[in-house]
Amino acid sequence: MATESSESEEEGKITGGNQHLIVEDDLREMGKKAAWSVSSCKTGNGVSSLRDDNLETYWQSDGAQPHLVNIQFQKKVKLQLVVLYVDFKLDESYTPSKISIRAGDGFHNLKEIKTVELVKPTGWVYLSLSGNDPRETFVNTFMLQIAVLSNHLNGRDTHVRQIKVYGPRPNPIPHQPFQFTSREFITYSTVR
Amino acid sequence: MEAILTDCVQNSLRHFMFGNAIFLCERLCAESPTEVNLQLLAACYLQNNQAYSAYCILKGKQTAQSRYLFAISCFQMDLLNEAETALCPAHEPGGEIPNGAAGHYLLGLIYRYTDRTKNAIHHFRLALSIDPLLWAAYEELCVLGAAEDAAVVFGEAAALCIQKQYLHHGIASPNVHTSNEDYNLVSSQNFGSEEVSPRQLKHTQGNNLRDIPGSYRGAAVVSGAASQPQNGVVPNMSFYNTPSPMALQLSGVAPPPLCRNMQPNGSNLNTVNTDGSPRSVVNSTIQAPRRKFVDEGKFRKISGRLFSDSGPRRSTRLGRDAGANINANISTVAGNGTNGSSKYLGSSKLSSVALRTVTVRKGLSWVNENIEEGIRNEAFDDSRANMASMTSSSFPSGDVRSLDQDGATVPVGGIFFSGSKVISGASEVLGLLRSLGEGYRLSCLYRCQDALDTYLRLPHRHYNTSWVLSQVGKAHFELVDYLEADRAFSLARRVTPYSLEGMDIYSTVLYHLKEDMKLSYLAQELTSTDRLAPQSWCAVGNCYSLQKDHETALKIFKRAVQLNSRFAYAHTLCGHEYVSLADFENGIKSYQNALRIDSRHYNAWYGIGMIFLRQEKFEFSEHHFGMAFQINPRSSVIMSYLGTALHALKKSEDAIKIMNRAILADRKNPLPMYQKANILMSLEKFDDALEVLEELKEHAPRESSVYALMGKIYKRQNMHEKAMLHFGIALDLKPSATDVAIIKAAIEKLHVPDELEDNL
Repeated sequence: MATESSESEEEGKITGGNQHLIVEDDLREMGKKAAWSVSSCKTGNGVSSLRDDNLETYWQSDGAQPHLVNIQFQKKVKLQLVVLYVDFKLDESYTPSKISIRAGDGFHNLKEIKTVELVKPTGWVYLSLSGNDPRETFVNTFMLQIAVLSNHLNGRDTHVRQIKVYGPRPNPIPHQPFQFTSREFITYSTVR
Repeated sequence: MEAILTDCVQNSLRHFMFGNAIFLCERLCAESPTEVNLQLLAACYLQNNQAYSAYCILKGKQTAQSRYLFAISCFQMDLLNEAETALCPAHEPGGEIPNGAAGHYLLGLIYRYTDRTKNAIHHFRLALSIDPLLWAAYEELCVLGAAEDAAVVFGEAAALCIQKQYLHHGIASPNVHTSNEDYNLVSSQNFGSEEVSPRQLKHTQGNNLRDIPGSYRGAAVVSGAASQPQNGVVPNMSFYNTPSPMALQLSGVAPPPLCRNMQPNGSNLNTVNTDGSPRSVVNSTIQAPRRKFVDEGKFRKISGRLFSDSGPRRSTRLGRDAGANINANISTVAGNGTNGSSKYLGSSKLSSVALRTVTVRKGLSWVNENIEEGIRNEAFDDSRANMASMTSSSFPSGDVRSLDQDGATVPVGGIFFSGSKVISGASEVLGLLRSLGEGYRLSCLYRCQDALDTYLRLPHRHYNTSWVLSQVGKAHFELVDYLEADRAFSLARRVTPYSLEGMDIYSTVLYHLKEDMKLSYLAQELTSTDRLAPQSWCAVGNCYSLQKDHETALKIFKRAVQLNSRFAYAHTLCGHEYVSLADFENGIKSYQNALRIDSRHYNAWYGIGMIFLRQEKFEFSEHHFGMAFQINPRSSVIMSYLGTALHALKKSEDAIKIMNRAILADRKNPLPMYQKANILMSLEKFDDALEVLEELKEHAPRESSVYALMGKIYKRQNMHEKAMLHFGIALDLKPSATDVAIIKAAIEKLHVPDELEDNL
């Protein structure tokens, strides 16, 4: 789903970044169920550094732009949020500047769903995949591709320290149209 | 030299110096590798948690006692086949099971863990008939769902058994501390009523003695058997908790004790004890490992309860004045007000246990203290049970020393009882065990309300122990009454903060109530109390699960499983976490592991049913929910899920019926009503559905899904304003993101009724 409307200049810029990763309770990290791959990498700074929960290690690309991170799921999943950890103070010219997020069934039919420009980010950067339409809170897709189109100070290669992908939690009770919110319901809704 | 070494070993064991004991015992065995010495060495090893060593040295030995010890080592090392062959050799199908009740109990456990439930039940019943106070066997029967009424099990026959046991002991013990006359009278009475064969009596005696006090931990009492030969001696000394030579008797070793016990006092006592001690060691060893599988806390509480209650009372009373008091006590203790010994005969097994403790207490308060100490020690650790028995075996010496200045006393290896005391004590004990047993049986059958009533009938001092309170908490939990359960469990924690019994259930209660502070506090306390108990880790895992950190929770539950792979609930919790992580295959495996250990664990049946429900395999799901329902027919949650499964199978009439039952069963539970509304909606009975939902609104006014569903129904009925209103309220109540999306989408589609509604 192309949300060209949300690509206006003002909305597209993100500065700063959070030191702490705080995500809502009803989201859960979906990256473990996906196959991650990158377009290129330097030896020792490969794709595993993106998923190791260690902010000291980073992925360094080693090729032509755009640098791509591909996240492929085995079945269509609902995704709502992508969070990256990038730090201008540490990486300077390796810090990504323009990022495009694409979604689709595979490499052949990816469509851009979000573009964002980072200005000297220093920490966790939250990229929401939701559109304005409430029906478009989630992106239901097989594959997500995060493309680094350009870096700060026109650097060629990029450093990304961590990427996390979030989607909604499934209803803990199957065959229920809605999830329970109040304590009385939740207390009695399951046997443990 | 042998005797000295044996004595030293006994002494070291008594003082918990296992290294020393093992070293000396190894020298003893090198000096004279008789089987008795090997058994002593095995006992040392078992107490020091070196089951493998005991296994190696006892391999191939054929005496009954050795076979029993060998079986225990195998059981601890999880070599169930070998344990079984040791206890019950294949080429000797009619052979005698070593150690009577204890042997049957161990064999029952082996059968249970190898899935031969019928045999297991058979052996537990045998164990109980031999030793009516073998609570652990009754407990196992309850868990397997095959227990008879507690009143029957702990009834008259049991009282008779116990009396016979004590009778023998009493007769054996030379000096009646207080009422010789009473004793003689009673003993004659007892003998008169004796129906049990001497053999059984021996068994019961030995077993009872062994079982009762330590009962729970091989407490020392055992001396009884030793006293057998000493008929006619006026019982005096009493409190001999020398480990009963019972085991020895069974194993064919000649009962030495009596003669040795005849030695008057002081220095000889040591030797006496020494002689007796191997037996005690053996006995306690036997008992200790068994206890491993029984919850510590339970026993601790029970033994603590029994002893603390009956002891001081009796000892003070009895100590004061022998004859009169005793009789008075007996009548008061028995509580029936009748004086005939026959009355006591009729009392339940519980009282016999009480009797034992009581009689032990009678006489010397310090003896009581020792016994209590011994028992408390036992409560601490399985490995210490032997020590306790050792300690208890030291009692007799102490007793003899202090009491028998006349020298005429014979340290009877056993508790001294006057017959009447035995009777009253037996009746007390049996009465107590009867209530507890009935309560436990009912709660295993999930007739929780009845169980609660039974427990409430206990005297206050017994009710306020952590075992009973945990059981009460568990019963409330099964009734889905989490607030009451919380109350009961927190009371239990206040009473005995070190107990782990039932704390895993408590952590689940707190999980359900979403009390994360209390839950993390509980988890911290439990892990600091005992890092190696599965219950503590269950609590920690529940904590993480409440924080929705399912991966860590899973790791922790797996740790609990590692600590004790026979702890069914840990497997079930693992299963729940796998399901939250959407790993259904492993989830099913975990649940099946739980069911393999305890096929009446309805949570596991429910778990598998939920997985199948998610995977839309509705017949399987219905079958599994049905099984869970059969086991626990009172849980409204299971009923409502069964209804959902039935509805999915299009058996909507049955579904509605079950939902109504669920609603009746527990008015506080909003889930069945909600599911009923769902079903009605899909049956297009919109008005009924709305009615149910309106009622539900009263119960849970801040539940967004209720309004959302109502909005949905109004939308179907094309009542747009009402639908809009309800959707709006639903949104205000902050539903989850998915639901927000659904509701907003529904709102947008409100005014486009002819559009094909795919998701609503």
